[in-house]
This record gives sequence, structure tokens and C-alpha cells, in this order.
Amino acid sequence: MATNPVIDVDRLGVTYGTFQAVKDLSFQVERGELYALLGTNGAGKTSTLEVVEGHRTPTTGSVRVLGSAPTDRRAVRPRTGTMLQESGFAPDLTVVETVRLIGRLSGREDSAERVLGLVGLTLKADTRVAQLSGGEKRRLDFATAVHGRPELLFLDEPTTGLDIQSRDALWGTVEQLRADGTTIVLTTHYLEEAQQHADRVGLMHGGTLRREGTVAELTRSLPASIRFSLPPGAATPPRQAVPLEDRSWAIETFELQRDLKQLLDWAAASEVELDGLSAAPTRLDDVFRAVGTDPAVPAPR
Amino acid sequence: MFPIARSELVQVLRDRAVLITSLIMPLAASAFFIGFRDVFAGIGSLGYVAAVLVFTIAAFSLYVTTVTTLAGRRQSLFLKRLRSTAAGDAAILSGLVLPVSAIALVQVAVIVTTFAVVGGTPADALLFVVAAVATFAMMLALGIGTAGVTTSPEHAQVTTLPLSLGTIAVASWVGITGTHDLTELKRILPGGAATELMVGAWNGGLALADALLLLVPTAAWVVVAIALAARMFRWEPRR
Repeated sequence: MATNPVIDVDRLGVTYGTFQAVKDLSFQVERGELYALLGTNGAGKTSTLEVVEGHRTPTTGSVRVLGSAPTDRRAVRPRTGTMLQESGFAPDLTVVETVRLIGRLSGREDSAERVLGLVGLTLKADTRVAQLSGGEKRRLDFATAVHGRPELLFLDEPTTGLDIQSRDALWGTVEQLRADGTTIVLTTHYLEEAQQHADRVGLMHGGTLRREGTVAELTRSLPASIRFSLPPGAATPPRQAVPLEDRSWAIETFELQRDLKQLLDWAAASEVELDGLSAAPTRLDDVFRAVGTDPAVPAPR
Repeated sequence: MFPIARSELVQVLRDRAVLITSLIMPLAASAFFIGFRDVFAGIGSLGYVAAVLVFTIAAFSLYVTTVTTLAGRRQSLFLKRLRSTAAGDAAILSGLVLPVSAIALVQVAVIVTTFAVVGGTPADALLFVVAAVATFAMMLALGIGTAGVTTSPEHAQVTTLPLSLGTIAVASWVGITGTHDLTELKRILPGGAATELMVGAWNGGLALADALLLLVPTAAWVVVAIALAARMFRWEPRR
């Protein structure tokens, strides 16, 4: 465990009436890392984030952000940038007016022109927010979050609605911030983003953390998969291959390279052509699905 | 507070619906009262006309616009956005209502001054100003409280009706009939004591001790409204 984590969540519980959205949740985010908090629908991710961002108080447990209670805005917010899930901008203000207002209220100095340049909105500086497209609003949201180079950055589904160039530009900026030492908490439904960028991932389901670790640690917990089909009359494949309903075969293995070579050696020796051969290491999607379908966990409301 | 107030002023000036509600309608109503002041003075008194002018501005320029603005900012998640910065709740709320309050105060100053020029000056201008300011404080607090039960600017058209029309009705009732009968009831209703104070300050003949006592119900409404707002005001839409 980190000795001085940027975020320290200790046995957090969030209850709405009789419904317990988050129960006994504990995790830490270390300085300089990108921590992806993922979860199935209704997992309690949003409630957790709202507490960590300071929009809601915990029902039980404690949360510290940069050494302070997250609701202590004066202590925390000048060091924190937040990209909300929904824009929440005043429709009648222009882009540059919005950046200047939010930037001024953030307590961090920066140039509005610089952050607009980062997100490619320089030409839209005098456009009213109401006239922006959904993707442009997300870029504006990101601009206000990174204004003044915060120590800690919350990115709540940052690339929703962005085209591929905008996504690449955003991640380029995020990587630059990471190189400068910014700590980042990411939530996203695009698991490939978490897979590619996260140092560590926390997977929530049913109100609590089910898995946590680096992407490598999480994906190692599930076997990789080899799939192939055989022509009619072919010899029986190696022992670990399992027939599937669609007449294809599958091998699940924690030694992908070894077992793939063994399969290919068998196919060569048996003069068998393997149709539709695919060999895929475990991805975060697979871990996510396994967490979401764990029969031991009740389905979320 | 001031950066928020400045951005709020920009938004008010760019919002046609708000401009009509908060500027044009109250000005038109005030022009009507001033134009027919002799008729209304005959029904009540010049002090009654002055009080109705103050309540017209306070109800529409200040109260309705405050409710509409806060509900709109909540609905668009702008309040949540502001709360994600380092600004405190008091600074956010103050910044949001400051421009509307300032516009309403300027309006009422211009309108009442115009009325004084054409109709005659008040007997105790300072006391009248104190009463008007107390009325504005009450209507502002009631506006913040009403915003707590208002989900959208459209919904504000309904939620503001009871108090906006009610306070003007109370002002008319007290201004025309006085407080010789049903004294406690008239003074307890929102706007009743303030109207009696404004009428007395304009027409004259109100002792200072009586004037100070009449400030108490208005101040009490400010306290009640703030307590309601603290309990009911929401910074985000209900999910």
C-alpha cells in the first residue's frame, strides 16, 4: 500500500434510503498513476466517484483526497481538475468565457488560449456553448479540467462522443500530463482505453470492488483462448481442446504461446488445416464479463 | 462571487425570455400604475401606489427571475459544474443572484424616483428605502426557497404564482384597507407589514417605534425563507 496516497478510500458505504449502492469499498490511488475505476451498470461507480469528487458525503467510511476531505473545496479543488460525465455549461456563454470562468474559479492560473489550443477549439472561442456539437462540448469539458495543470485529474467517460482524432488528441494530452506527474482517475465504458492507458484497474460490481490490480495481473487471472475449426474427418485435436456447439474447438490456457505451438505442431504432423484459427490473450473485456456474470454476486438493480 | 456574477449578468442580458420577464413586464406595469396614480391614490393613497410599485418589481424582476434562473442553472447542471470548482456554496449562490438583485434595485430606484417626481416626495424617504430593501431581502430569500421546489424554468411559471401574485394582492389589500382591522393577520402575511411600513413612510405619520416593530414580520419571513431554502434547495436535479 502507498504510504501517502493521493486518494484514500476506506470502507466507503453509500446508501440511498434502504438501497446500499456502495458497501465496504476500499482502494487507494498512488501519486502519478492512472487508476481506472470500472464497473458494470449499477455497480456503484458513479456514487463512489461523486463521493471522491466531493459532490456527496459518505454514509459510512472515510475518503481522503490530497490529504483532505473531498468536500473541503478550498483545500482540494485548486489542485483538482474534474471532467464531469455531462457538460453542465451555461448555454449562453461563449467557449472562451466558459474556460475563463471555470479556470478562474478553479484557483489555478493558465491561459484560456493555451487550453483551447490543446483541445482544438481555438476557432470556436467566440461560439456560444449552445451551438457546440456534443463532441466539442466534451473537448471544452476537458479543457476546463486541465486548465492550470492540476495535480489530480478526474476523467469521467472522457471520450464519449469524440471522433477518433479528438480521442487521440485527448489521450496525447493526458499522457503529457502523466509525464508531468499528474495523478488521474479514469472511468470509461471503452475498456480498450483502460487496457491501454491504466496503471491499475479497479473493477466494481454489486457495490464493491471485485478485482483490482494492473492490467497484466487482472488478465493473468483468466485463461487465454485459442479457437479453430477442423475439416470433416480430421484427426482428433490435442487433449486440452474442447468441442463447442458450433462444431469449432477451443483451448483455454494460461500458457498461450506453448499451447499454440503445440497445436500448430499437431496440425502440421497430422496434415490438418486449421480453419478460422485465432489466438487471443485475455483482455480486460473478458475479466469484466467474468466479474459481471459471477453467480455469487446478485444482479444489480 | 464576482466572476460568477459577471458571467450571470452576461447570461441574463443574452436571455430574451428573462429580459422580458425581469425588465419589460415590470416596467410596463409600473408605467401603468404611475400613469393612473390619481385613480389608485383615490382608492388607497400615494403611499399605496409606491408600495405596489415596489412589490411589482420585487415580485417579477427579483422573485420570479431568481426562481427561473436558479432552476435553469440546476437543470442544465451548471450548478454542479460550479460546485466542482473551488467556489463555496455561498459564493456561488450570491454570485448567481447578485445581477438579478442589482437590476431589480436599479429598476425600483428609477421607478420610485420617477413616481416621487410626478406624484410628490415621501414624508420619510429613508424609512421608505429601509422598508423597500427589507421587502427585497424577503423576496430574494423566498425566491431561493421556491427554487428548491422548482425543477425547471417552465415549472417556475407555476411555482412562482402563489407568492408573486399573493404578495401583490396582500400589498393591495393592506394598502387599500389599512390595518385597523385584522391587524395581526395582515401584518403576518408576506408583504403585509412591509406594505404598512412603506405606506406610513410615504404618507407620513408613522412613529419610529411603530416603524421598527413593522420590520420584525418582514425579517421573520427572511429567516423562514432562508430556513426553507437550506432544507429544500438542491444543487442537482433529482435522479
